[in-house]
Amino acid sequence: MTAWTRRQIGGLVGGALLGVAAPHIARGQGRPRVIVIGGGIGGATVARYLADLKSIDVTLVEPNSAHVTCFFSNLYLAGLRSLASLTFDLETLAERHGITIIRDSAVAIDAPGKGVELQGGAKLSYDRLVVAPGIAFKFAEIEGYDEAAAKIMPHAWIAGSQSELLRRQLKSMDDGGVFVIAAPPNPFRCPPAPYERASLVAYYFKQFKPKSKILILDAKDRFSGQELFQDAWSRHYPGMIEWLPSQFTGAIKAVDVAARSVVTEGETFRAAVANIIPAQKAGLIGEKAGLTDASGWCPVDPVTFESTLQPGIHVVGDSIIGGDMPKSAFSANSQAKACAFAIAASLTGSPQFPPHLFNSCYTFLAPDDAFTNALTFAPEGGRIKTVKMLISKVGESAEARRRTARHAVGWYSAFTADVFGGGS
Amino acid sequence: MKRERAAAIVSRAKGLAAEIRWLLGTSLSAILLFPGNSAAEDASQGAQIAATCASCHDPAGRGQAIPPIVGLDEQRIVKAMLAFRASESPSLVMHAVALSLTDGELAVMARYLTDRANAGRQP
Ligand SMILES: Cc1cc2nc3c(=O)[nH]c(=O)nc-3n(C[C@H](O)[C@H](O)[C@H](O)COP(=O)(O)OP(=O)(O)OC[C@H]3O[C@@H](n4cnc5c(N)ncnc54)[C@H](O)[C@@H]3O)c2cc1C
Repeated sequence: MTAWTRRQIGGLVGGALLGVAAPHIARGQGRPRVIVIGGGIGGATVARYLADLKSIDVTLVEPNSAHVTCFFSNLYLAGLRSLASLTFDLETLAERHGITIIRDSAVAIDAPGKGVELQGGAKLSYDRLVVAPGIAFKFAEIEGYDEAAAKIMPHAWIAGSQSELLRRQLKSMDDGGVFVIAAPPNPFRCPPAPYERASLVAYYFKQFKPKSKILILDAKDRFSGQELFQDAWSRHYPGMIEWLPSQFTGAIKAVDVAARSVVTEGETFRAAVANIIPAQKAGLIGEKAGLTDASGWCPVDPVTFESTLQPGIHVVGDSIIGGDMPKSAFSANSQAKACAFAIAASLTGSPQFPPHLFNSCYTFLAPDDAFTNALTFAPEGGRIKTVKMLISKVGESAEARRRTARHAVGWYSAFTADVFGGGS
Repeated sequence: MKRERAAAIVSRAKGLAAEIRWLLGTSLSAILLFPGNSAAEDASQGAQIAATCASCHDPAGRGQAIPPIVGLDEQRIVKAMLAFRASESPSLVMHAVALSLTDGELAVMARYLTDRANAGRQP
């Protein structure tokens, strides 16, 4: 079903529906039209920055009326933030930035005909299309794990009801239970996040269920920020978190939902609560629209973020093969801005300058102990290459870490205002 | 007009330039005498670079943890960025950002932020 927001109904005459009735009129007259699929971090940022230029008509297609951020959702799991404080109504983008929002899902893209078909049946035409559908899961790689199993052993890797489910399970778990986190193979959304999750759940256990343990069954032998995490685990949560690399276990192969067990090559682990984070690929519309290659992700031009497989369609965020750029909200936001300016340049002739691509993530080890990294990137030889990488160090003062934790909170409010058009 | 403004900034910022020249291997005058773009291009390039700032700095200038940048004058911004470029402390993130901007980009960005603030709008 297609649900139109208030502004959508008011703006129908000049908006997207005109394209449905008579695409040639929509394209022949007035402002060029960009359709953005996905109102998460990448999609909302592109839509907002394009709309603010005023010379382009922007329509955002997203099934949800609000976005729940994955970043800071580990704080929610530990009881340190409410889910409401992580939820952003997309209506602000319509009201303050003049974006037409259609509450629906894109089900097909006609690249040569420049059209998008929605689940509700509407067909929209565009001059440029941006696709930002985030991630999908490779369920088939873990035997017994699928959408239904995720309702018992949540992934909580897309925030919202999955996060609520995991929080409820952790709250009702008996003291002394084992919380198993199955960490996925590379590449995946937010490389430090499974280990941040272990840290913050350990913080929760330490207060309320001190006999409980956390077992991380990893599909990898190393992970992002490893030294910083292992140092913090021994300082804050000694004996509580065990990390088993793939070389010891052969990694997770199957789950038995009824028995609440997780099966690796050689062993079966019983879990009081199991958090299964499967291997990932681009959001499904990417594959359907022929935007993905054999890797399962979408290859793009590193300057314009235009698909190298389908001209006229741009892809930003977790769905792309980002070269050296990690799959993070910060990366998605940075790519989205570069993409928006590139689209404006090609549709309106505005000048285009070399893109500045950044990533900076704040990672919590405890509520007042956080670390950060800062990376800069530049296009080189058709891919995105790291230019500079800086990261907090083991052994920093407690005061420095407290300051980073405070910065993280400041970053969260500024960043979400930037993406979802709130704040000012 | 532009040259005059640039010259004025050079003189205001000279003291700082002397202090940190050895660190930068360049002079502040070089930063502020970037090749001339048209005003519209400057604003557009400024807008594109300043978009980066908004990923962390609240556009309404709220929040104490990450200092607001709204309302800082051009010279303060250039000065601060040069200091960030020279040292990892106090901010890893700002060190990385400052290193990634050319002298010309830095000047255009600073001017854009100041002009926007003077026009009473947010960056
Ligand atoms: C636990 C955790 C912690 C994290 N912490 C951080 C952090 O501290 N810092 C950081 O930078 N990043 C962090 N991340 C990563 C960050 O959340 C993602 O990288 C970011 O959300 C990616 O943005 P995106 O736009 O690609 O995808 P999303 O934000 O997931 O948005 C995709 C949107 O597309 C929509 N969609 C999908 N298919 C369709 C369709 N067919 N039609 C219409 N709409 C569609 C979806 O409904 C969704 O709203 C974290 C992630 C997790 C899981």
